[in-house]
Amino acid sequence: MTTETTTQATAPLLGRGNRKQARRNALIGWSFILPNFLGFLAFTLIPVLAAFALSFMEWDSFSAPKWVGLENFQRMLGSDSFWIALRNTLLYALGHVPLTMGLALVLAMLLNRKLKGIGFFRVAIFFPYITSLVAVAVVWNMLFSPETGPINQFLQTVGVANPPGWTSSSDWALPAVIITSVWRDMGYYMILYLAGLQAVPAELYEAAEVDGANAWQRFWNVTIPSLRPTTFFVLVMLTVSSFKVFDLIVVMTDGGPGRSTTVLSQLIYQEGIGEGKFGYSSAISLVLFLIVLTVTVLQFKIQQRRER
Amino acid sequence: MKRRTLTAIALALSAGFGLSACAGAAGPADNAGAQDGKTTLSVSVWNYEGTPEFKALFDAYEAANPGINIEPVDILADDYPQKVTTMLAGGDTTDVLTMKNVIDYSRYANNGQLQEINDVVDTVGKDKLAGIDAFDLDGKYFAAPYRQDFWLLYYNKDMFKAAGIADPTDLTWDQYADIAKKLSTTKDGKKVYGTYQHTWRSVVQAISAAQNDADQNSGEYGFMKDQYNTALDLQTSGATLPYGTAKSQKTSYRTMFETGQAAMMPMGTWYIAGILEAKKAGKTDVNWGLAPMPQKTADGEITTFGSPTAFAVNKNAKHSDEAKKFIQWAAGAEGAKAISAIGVVPALQDASVTEAYFTLDGMATDELSKKAFSPDKTALEMPVSDKSAATDTILNQEHDLIMVGEKSVDDAITEMDKRVKKEVLNQ
Repeated sequence: MTTETTTQATAPLLGRGNRKQARRNALIGWSFILPNFLGFLAFTLIPVLAAFALSFMEWDSFSAPKWVGLENFQRMLGSDSFWIALRNTLLYALGHVPLTMGLALVLAMLLNRKLKGIGFFRVAIFFPYITSLVAVAVVWNMLFSPETGPINQFLQTVGVANPPGWTSSSDWALPAVIITSVWRDMGYYMILYLAGLQAVPAELYEAAEVDGANAWQRFWNVTIPSLRPTTFFVLVMLTVSSFKVFDLIVVMTDGGPGRSTTVLSQLIYQEGIGEGKFGYSSAISLVLFLIVLTVTVLQFKIQQRRER
Repeated sequence: MKRRTLTAIALALSAGFGLSACAGAAGPADNAGAQDGKTTLSVSVWNYEGTPEFKALFDAYEAANPGINIEPVDILADDYPQKVTTMLAGGDTTDVLTMKNVIDYSRYANNGQLQEINDVVDTVGKDKLAGIDAFDLDGKYFAAPYRQDFWLLYYNKDMFKAAGIADPTDLTWDQYADIAKKLSTTKDGKKVYGTYQHTWRSVVQAISAAQNDADQNSGEYGFMKDQYNTALDLQTSGATLPYGTAKSQKTSYRTMFETGQAAMMPMGTWYIAGILEAKKAGKTDVNWGLAPMPQKTADGEITTFGSPTAFAVNKNAKHSDEAKKFIQWAAGAEGAKAISAIGVVPALQDASVTEAYFTLDGMATDELSKKAFSPDKTALEMPVSDKSAATDTILNQEHDLIMVGEKSVDDAITEMDKRVKKEVLNQ
């Protein structure tokens, strides 16, 4: 990129030999990114474009694909399962993103101090993130167990007469999944926030203190603005990961009870690999792609406006 | 600005399509070929460690055919159909494909992925193979069953004796529910259940389809009503572990029966091998017996459901002839002997094999158990149809809602009718 810009800017002033040199430089530059790009091409770009095309076809993975135009999309719009999965995906993101961000920030603030043994607490909070997801799901399923689980037993002792059924109830299964995923992810985002916090210059706090700012004002006027790049990164990563949540739901509830926790990526898997309707499932994945794209572009736009 | 948008697109691309992209994964390592003069025959299997029948078959076949070396292609049991589909779509050359159920069989066969093996089936003998009808596609057979599982009632003899209840001969569902309630107690502060109904939808749906002679792809599910009422009654009266708990704890049916937490349990014959193994390893001392599945009415006729497991030859097999020979052996008397020796029920109907089966160490040998072993009618667990996979998803979801008590039986059945008609049958 840089090479090319330089070339264009200086080309009129220079002779032929230099232009040759510039082309060589560009080629060298391309050759550096080629290995990576080949991998991206073979394993991401081509499959993605193929999926784009497949969403307008009918294909069972054995016989030749058949062009069906917009039929897959029509079917999708008329299908309850699609709307339920879309609603669940959005609800999951709405719960997962703010809760994880908030808790990660709070934890980072708490753990961003020089205390004896602080390393232990940081590791403890990060631990869920590197624990096997299946183990996490099994343990939380036990905690959430409606009759014998510790969570409901605790709720009963503090006076909740009818504690929720959690994963065995349509209304509470999604909150249960969100709680588990927040618990699992907050450690990772806490680390990102910790890094961000440590990059905030101490002088800013000192200056604010000299100006008579109290703790809350320092947090609001120094910490939050200084963390904006981190917050933005966390927001984008969290949103993207929320929209493509799959593994946790599959091992925890498998979309149930009924369809109460079925999300889009699971529907894509079920329709495509489970039932062999690869065209239809590609159509759903195209919609998921467009949603994630829109949300991400919007976030970039808002961030840009703020920076101005 | 432009670069930002590009980055955003790249991020979103990898997110949205990461899922569909991984569908094109390649098959297993291909190292078939001659090793010290032997022919290597590859066979797709699931959970090789935990499914001893495969090793029993392969060892016996290799011993009988020194020129053959069998290489299992091990696949995770839960992902088996999806993985095999992906393998076949990618032109995989595994020689023998194990058909875990008949729904996948019809999909592969109808798409021309399997070789016709009528000669193999004829040599073994059609009339001798239980469950062979499910593999008949307009007179053509693309697989031969080597095992046939069906459902019966396991019961704990000691618990029946202690409660003074006679062995469960010719039960109706009402009698079964009554006994289950009587046997439910609390022992040493722990709940003991009269029965354990596992969370699978077949426990309610497939048995009622079999006994009502109904079709699970029909889009009419009124026939399931009685069976659901029985299942819910057992649950509300505390005669079985509640569905919600069983599901969230991922309760093992084996543990429920082997530790004496449940006195009865409707389950498939594959569990016989499991009990024998557990008893041999000293993990349980349960005094168990087999009884026929409870029936709608006690007219002496026993109807249950089951599903065969079969071997097929891949269209792209490297060693088609060797593969056919293996299948003929596995479905025939020699294969039946090898798997029945570890408690697995072979598809081959042969008096001497059944007799040998009941002399196994640790096997229940009473008359009732033997009677349970020969039901009058065994319906298919799920019909062979290209609609079955989609119907299965819907019936599963509604089953879930009935059993956790979120939907009444009537509402859920109405919903099943509506959804299957609309989403599967396109009516």
